Amino acid sequence: MNPALSDRAARALPDSTWPAIIIQSASEVFRLMLDSDIEAVQTPSTDVPGKVCAMIGLAGSLCAVFRIRCSKQSAHSIATKMLGGQNPSDEGAAYDALGEMANMLAGNFKGKISGLSDSCALSVPTVIIGDDYNVYPLSGGHQIQVNLTYEGSPVSVALEISG
Amino acid sequence: MKPIRVLIVDDSAVMRKIVERCLRQAGIDLTEVLEAGNGLEGLAALQAGGVDLILSDINMPAMDGLEFLHGLRQIENARNTPVVMITTEGSESRVVEALSAGARGYIRKPFTPDQVKERVTPLLVGAR
Repeated sequence: MNPALSDRAARALPDSTWPAIIIQSASEVFRLMLDSDIEAVQTPSTDVPGKVCAMIGLAGSLCAVFRIRCSKQSAHSIATKMLGGQNPSDEGAAYDALGEMANMLAGNFKGKISGLSDSCALSVPTVIIGDDYNVYPLSGGHQIQVNLTYEGSPVSVALEISG
Repeated sequence: MKPIRVLIVDDSAVMRKIVERCLRQAGIDLTEVLEAGNGLEGLAALQAGGVDLILSDINMPAMDGLEFLHGLRQIENARNTPVVMITTEGSESRVVEALSAGARGYIRKPFTPDQVKERVTPLLVGAR
């Protein structure tokens, strides 16, 4: 059994440093995998940034969903850069790339939170295409969302924490 | 360094291409690159013939990288093949589990081509 899923795992509690840690995690992943910089947008936005959303579930001491959302164009650009400048073979490859970005971002994030690394497991990525849906936070849950720009286009990264 | 056959196991096709590119950038001459989307496919690929190096993700559907490691030790032409795990798992316990199960190293995603080269090339000394 994955030790992260043990009943003995203590609950991780979010604090005010987590938004900055999410931004740092995202910056590192974009820099290492795409050789690109992202910028944090200070003004909170309620705008939906795009039609592609990649999600990773976290279970154990932190029960949450990590989401990264952007436009199809941004997902295509991310895939192209991940492939070293080669265009992705199809749309699916762009979504695959965004799923991997979510995976790395979630892994990088949990590695930066004390005690979370060994007590929290990640799911495989899920990607949703389209914008005709709503996300309803679970009762007692908590959301941390950071708004970023990648090549001038909005990208949102959110952590939906179960109560 | 001799040309080698490599098996890359990852549920992301994009990640498999990235790993292949990193190996080529590291100056490794790849005669053949086998790809598998999970551990089951990886074991099936090895039934057809041995490889000189395996790079495998840990977190995959159907059969994860740790089960794959245990499975390949049952395959005659694969049990001594060096395996490097490539994972987003920051979990030390998962890494220790992989090393205990026979992995020769691990690379944490996100990674650079230099990190891949650093981990992989020492394992290829004496590759057939």
